[in-house]
Amino acid sequence: MKSTDVVTTALGNTMRSKARTILTVIAIFIGAFTLTLTSGLGVGINTYIDRLVQGFGDQQQLYVQKPSQQSNQPADAGPQEYDPEEAAGAREGNFGLQMLSTPEIDKIRDIDGVESVEPLVAVSPTYLADESGDQYIVSLGLPSDASSLEYAAGEAPQRDADEITIPTTWVESLGYDNAEDAVGGTVNIGMTNATGESQEFEATISGVTEIMLSNQGSQPTPSTSFTDRLYEYQNEGLPEQAVESQGYAMAVADVPNVDQQDSVKAALREEGMVGMTVEDQIGLLRGIINTVTWVLNGFALIALLAAAFGIVNTLLMSVQERTREIGLMKSLGMSPGKIFGLFSSEAVLIGLIGSLIGVGAGVVVGTLANGWLTGEGGPLATVAGLTLYGIAPLQLLGIILLIMFIAFIAGTLPAARAARKDPIEALRYE
Amino acid sequence: MDMFARVSGHHRTQMQQEATAMEPPVLETENLVKVYGRGANRFDALKGLTLEIKRGESVAVIGKSGSGKSTLMHLMALLDRPSQGVVALNGRPVSELKNKEIHKVRNESFGFVFQQFFLNPNQTVLENVVLPLKIAGLSKRERNQRGMEALERLEMADKAKNKATDLSGGQKQRACIARALVTNPSVIFADEPTGNLDSNTSEVVEEILFGLQRECGITLVVVTHDDDLAAKCDRRIHLKDGEIVSVEEGRLDATHGEPNQQSASSAGDAVPAPNYRATEPWAATGGSTSSASEDGPKHREEGTR
Repeated sequence: MKSTDVVTTALGNTMRSKARTILTVIAIFIGAFTLTLTSGLGVGINTYIDRLVQGFGDQQQLYVQKPSQQSNQPADAGPQEYDPEEAAGAREGNFGLQMLSTPEIDKIRDIDGVESVEPLVAVSPTYLADESGDQYIVSLGLPSDASSLEYAAGEAPQRDADEITIPTTWVESLGYDNAEDAVGGTVNIGMTNATGESQEFEATISGVTEIMLSNQGSQPTPSTSFTDRLYEYQNEGLPEQAVESQGYAMAVADVPNVDQQDSVKAALREEGMVGMTVEDQIGLLRGIINTVTWVLNGFALIALLAAAFGIVNTLLMSVQERTREIGLMKSLGMSPGKIFGLFSSEAVLIGLIGSLIGVGAGVVVGTLANGWLTGEGGPLATVAGLTLYGIAPLQLLGIILLIMFIAFIAGTLPAARAARKDPIEALRYE
Repeated sequence: MDMFARVSGHHRTQMQQEATAMEPPVLETENLVKVYGRGANRFDALKGLTLEIKRGESVAVIGKSGSGKSTLMHLMALLDRPSQGVVALNGRPVSELKNKEIHKVRNESFGFVFQQFFLNPNQTVLENVVLPLKIAGLSKRERNQRGMEALERLEMADKAKNKATDLSGGQKQRACIARALVTNPSVIFADEPTGNLDSNTSEVVEEILFGLQRECGITLVVVTHDDDLAAKCDRRIHLKDGEIVSVEEGRLDATHGEPNQQSASSAGDAVPAPNYRATEPWAATGGSTSSASEDGPKHREEGTR
């Protein structure tokens, strides 16, 4: 028998007891549908992350922090002894973070491969005033985040210019019609220095940021040089020692040679600091999302496993019913191998039909749900750029192939039983 | 199929006789033993059978149920392997053949006609008939062409597109014969071919089978307990408890004297009903268990002339 005949005969046979085939196909359909949705969810969210990362771009930057106190201390250890020297150098920040001290910044600069280090400073403005003079309470975002934000209009502030971004939610309050209108406008940041004096600093609005799921973009974010100016004014009147002892939450180290990043990270670890590239940070997030996706996929695979037993059951019944037909084909010279091929083709066909319908329905439902949830007026519409469902053609093909393979494996038991049937017994069978 | 058209009945009979003089028997068995089960459940289905079947011969294997006649047919049709002894096809022991070759022999050289027809009810008559060609791997076009030729020969062409379930018993058996014929086999094994048919239909089917044997030189091995059918065969082998109790040579039926008048195309027509009724056919040769193969050709000549 030619293989095309095997397939067409198998197709004819699966259509013979329609109700049974349809029920088995439904079981496969459920598994395929679920797997398509769960894996598409992973693709969608990863696409979202990719979009967030775009613009970060700078692979050579290493974000250096002190590890938090808790993680430094073994869980079963008692209280740590107070060390005045270390305490003087390392101040704890607001969020349980240890601050980097000026000597530590110098140490980072001395590490082989580090070209420059820029400490990130904390600036606390008194207010933000719009063009008509209305004043608002404000806390500023970190300049290093600016490039990773989503922009509804305009772009990230220029590093060396007195520029700032504002979130979309501020546009109307600041007196602009829309985001496009706001770009190019000006705001004044009111600062108070250590001696109690006040001064306003003017900045141009370079862009309007979307507020992301992570809450990034919800604060006005100034450029690096503008932040430095504000910081300088903030510390006016303070003794130099006091300024230094404030410390820094984070420093950005420039490592032009990407190959040296690992050795720089090792060196930082020796000094009690942690350096992470953008990739490292994203990698953590990706790892979590992939884990969740795989757990969900696991549920879909359990559904497929149950469906596989459906195939075994259906085909065993089919083999039993068609005992005579098998006997006839064998007596007419059909080899056991071809009989096996015929029945396993039936299993694979059931798998193919179920997976095609399931994947098709999964893609349609996933796309519709994504449109409804994240589109205009949907519950998640406020999260800029969010995609919950993504289509990866190769992955869908992989799902179909996987299900066909599972179906084939499920078909081997009935097919082997059919192939082993003794033609004489089979023909005698009533 | 052109064999049917080319060879006239008489001509073929002569060729056949010349051929049988030199050729090895198409099928032969030597000391064939088949045992089922073991220990207390041991059942000796065949207890050492030796026989020869010449090319173009029609042989009836007769016996009550449990006599081993079906087992013998299965062994000769290569559907089963003997416990002991040899089955030889065209002089070559079957044990030398690989499984693949055995499948090929069954597909190409053997045709099967069953009492229960074994037609697939979900398929058309034509689809049923071309099943052996499908298994052989022929293209759909060639399959259908040869299938239609076989159906035309059995005057069933108008039923080709009908579902197999829509046929009468006789039509079913004719479809079954068309299926056996479609590969141009050299041997047709018929297991109680008239067992499910009324007497009129039986005669038609018998005439078709013997027509094929005469016109096309197809060897016919019929397993039956129908004496009418057996009487029309060139030779009758009586089995009892796995042993040959007697062998009868020569036809006993009414068409005996005028076999060549039956042309291939009229095979479907009913022949005058044979009045002969076999009475104790084994009385003629008593309890002889010899294979009597040496004088086989001579008797057959008598039978066909």
